[in-house]
Amino acid sequence: MKATQSEPVTKVEPVTPTPAAENKKRKAPAEPERFALLGVWAVLIIAFSLIVPQTFPTAANVSNMLSSQVVLLILAIGLLYPLRAGDYDLSVASTLNLSTVVVAILNVQHGWNIWATVVVAILASLLVGVINGWVVTVFDINPFIVTLGMGTVVQGLIYLLSNTSTISGIDRALSSAVLTRPFLGIPVGFYYAIVLVAVAWYVFDKTAFGQRLLFIGQSHDVARLNGVNVPALRWRALIISAGFAGLAGVVYAGTTASADPVSGASFLLPAFAACFLGSTVLRIGRFNPWGTLIAVYFLVTGITGLQLLGAEQYVQQLFYGGALVIAVILSKLVRSRGERKRRAQAAEPA
Amino acid sequence: MTAPAPLLAVTGLAKAFNGVPALRGVDLDVLPGEVHGLLGANGSGKSTLIKILAGFHDADGGTVTVGGTTVAGPFGARGLRDHGLGFVHQDLGLAGTSTVLEHMALDSHGDAPGRRRVRWKDERARVTGLLDRFEIDVDPGATIDTLSPVQRAMVAVVRAVGSQELTSGNAGGQILILDEPTVFLPRHEVGLLFALLRRLRQRGDAVLLVSHDLDEILEVTDRITVFRNGRTAGTRTTADSTRDDLVQLILGARDEHVAKGTARVRSDRPALLSARGLSGARVRDLDLDLHGGEVVGVTGLAGSGFEELPDLLFGARAATGGTIEHDGTVVAKPTPARSMDNGVVLIPADRKGQGGALGLSVLENVSLPFLDERAGGLVVDWKSLDRRAQETCERLNVVPADPRALFGHLSGGNQQKALLGKWMDTNPKVMLLAEPTQGVDIGARREIFALIRSAVAQGMAVLCATSDYEQLVEMADRVLVLDGGRVSAEVTGADITKDVLASAVYAEEAS
Repeated sequence: MKATQSEPVTKVEPVTPTPAAENKKRKAPAEPERFALLGVWAVLIIAFSLIVPQTFPTAANVSNMLSSQVVLLILAIGLLYPLRAGDYDLSVASTLNLSTVVVAILNVQHGWNIWATVVVAILASLLVGVINGWVVTVFDINPFIVTLGMGTVVQGLIYLLSNTSTISGIDRALSSAVLTRPFLGIPVGFYYAIVLVAVAWYVFDKTAFGQRLLFIGQSHDVARLNGVNVPALRWRALIISAGFAGLAGVVYAGTTASADPVSGASFLLPAFAACFLGSTVLRIGRFNPWGTLIAVYFLVTGITGLQLLGAEQYVQQLFYGGALVIAVILSKLVRSRGERKRRAQAAEPA
Repeated sequence: MTAPAPLLAVTGLAKAFNGVPALRGVDLDVLPGEVHGLLGANGSGKSTLIKILAGFHDADGGTVTVGGTTVAGPFGARGLRDHGLGFVHQDLGLAGTSTVLEHMALDSHGDAPGRRRVRWKDERARVTGLLDRFEIDVDPGATIDTLSPVQRAMVAVVRAVGSQELTSGNAGGQILILDEPTVFLPRHEVGLLFALLRRLRQRGDAVLLVSHDLDEILEVTDRITVFRNGRTAGTRTTADSTRDDLVQLILGARDEHVAKGTARVRSDRPALLSARGLSGARVRDLDLDLHGGEVVGVTGLAGSGFEELPDLLFGARAATGGTIEHDGTVVAKPTPARSMDNGVVLIPADRKGQGGALGLSVLENVSLPFLDERAGGLVVDWKSLDRRAQETCERLNVVPADPRALFGHLSGGNQQKALLGKWMDTNPKVMLLAEPTQGVDIGARREIFALIRSAVAQGMAVLCATSDYEQLVEMADRVLVLDGGRVSAEVTGADITKDVLASAVYAEEAS
């Protein structure tokens, strides 16, 4: 991508003319399955456009689809960090909800400045991540069970703080900060999310931190023996996911201008579905931000289309749940297929 | 072979992995009422034989006869267990938090439908009876964690006996295969286990005891079979054998002395890495100096502590005592990261689990130590890393010479070369190797030796922990032999031959 610029040309030329060419050749049979989900997505879009031409392919619908997924997208991007390191964070949905409720309570019931509440909400979320990471790394306990427990604790806190009731009337300033449409009629929240996707891509692909997370996800031992501070990085990843969950919660509060104590939970499965489905696109077998972006919008396309066709609310559960299971099966299939291909190749010259 | 018909007879058993033969047709028979020792160097095919009998691998050819009936292969996942063979593996296969009774009850309903109720009273009676019969003083309700190592070993043995009795009645005449059961036992407790084996012998059972330890084999067995390079080198009656005969059988003809180049013992140079009073799980109070320009081999029997030494020196495993010095300065708390910073690197024995990430590319694997240096602030410069990886692959002759290939798709030898290349590129001062050529083909093995030697010629120090004597003969300038966690012998220069090493390793109190 950035091959053309900035490299001193003199150095490149003499070193690797042949191997580079060889490389290209080897890379040529690019796995088409990398783009399978994109293809299915395109088919879905075309099909719905043909079946319900008056409602599906409209600017209003597209804008609605793009903006409705911003909260989920932010949450899923944050979740990618611990997933890259091989850790599940099941507390993200409760953390999101906590952040929403904190904004509502401080702003509506205590009259705080909205931006101050945003800061406090995100700090509270980060604290959840700090505790998660502390328990996981200091006591060396499986994060699956730790975050499951912490998530429930946070949910309990939410009930306690909110008195189990919905709080509405959050300062409109927050809503306009996420809902104004500066460009192409698409709410600004979507652009925030895209920036976060790009940042995640940069972190994962271009920084040492991202690369080390990847190694931790592959094998703690390999990473440790290569001098990687495994506990510190796992901890950091869990803090990041909690921070993203807090941010998603703030955006959610802005979108709905209210906070209820339960609706955050409905984001948990879709976030995991998007991450896992995303790992079957672009970089197969790797959790990757652009793939997650595609997965989020693939899922919402299917759901919106079916709902326009008259399907009920249940279609969401069917779609998200099904996508998660299918994604996991797919990545397994692709991996064993690659394995067989390799064995066939290895057998040939011998 | 005038005695009764063998309980277990193996003839012409062969097995190859990816075209590399591990067993080239071995013969072995075990009589009722005998403890039969199976000896052999690493890679001689002992464990392959056990794994075939236990059903981990299928044999390519040959026959196995149990109690007079020939069993056709493949033996399936349960191996020959249903034909009256019991197995005790080195790790004993006991779960720490379960009780003795629970382990044994597991066997008595192994194939039963899951809904069958466990009759705990009957089980307790059976287990208590079994333990009493073999005079083992262990409470059936005790959890495995609370038992001493030898108690665990005895429980594992009795468990195997008990599970055979369930299928064939307690008439005796069973076959028990023990795969190095004494490695993790304290020396003074081994006798207890051997008393148990003698009791089994009295019942007319057959015991096949795999071990590295000549003294133990000579002490407890009736006959001994030795494997060498996948063939049966010979079977001897223990009473007529001496330690020297056996060593010779294990190693083969005595004409394998390869003249070594001049030894380079560099004690004149300052030590790059030193250990003082180092202790770990097995290593005891060990002193060591590694000088630039020398290859120091470390060897010993399994369990003697030599396997642990590279990890301890690198800081991958916390030492229980002693200090480590890099370049003469004490490192307060050695960790992998700190060792790497000081130019000390480790290539672990478990290549797939610890050496490299199988699911990532060669490029990513070899780039891991350079991320900071090439990150140039924030961005990892993949282009230059790619160029360097390509160069390394070509220089070390890694096939395929493609940094984008998945690390897990490379053969063992190529994986090792890639890892070696990775660490060489960090310009280390000290390289710690653990079994560097395990699972590496002969060609790659030579290349690896050459690479190491050339790096050493430029002043690097190498420590190589291995049980492969041939490798030490070819590579090492001096060899430390460990026994019971301490250095029991040091062999230098031209004196390093397979014979000398073998007798140093097998000689316990002798030299």
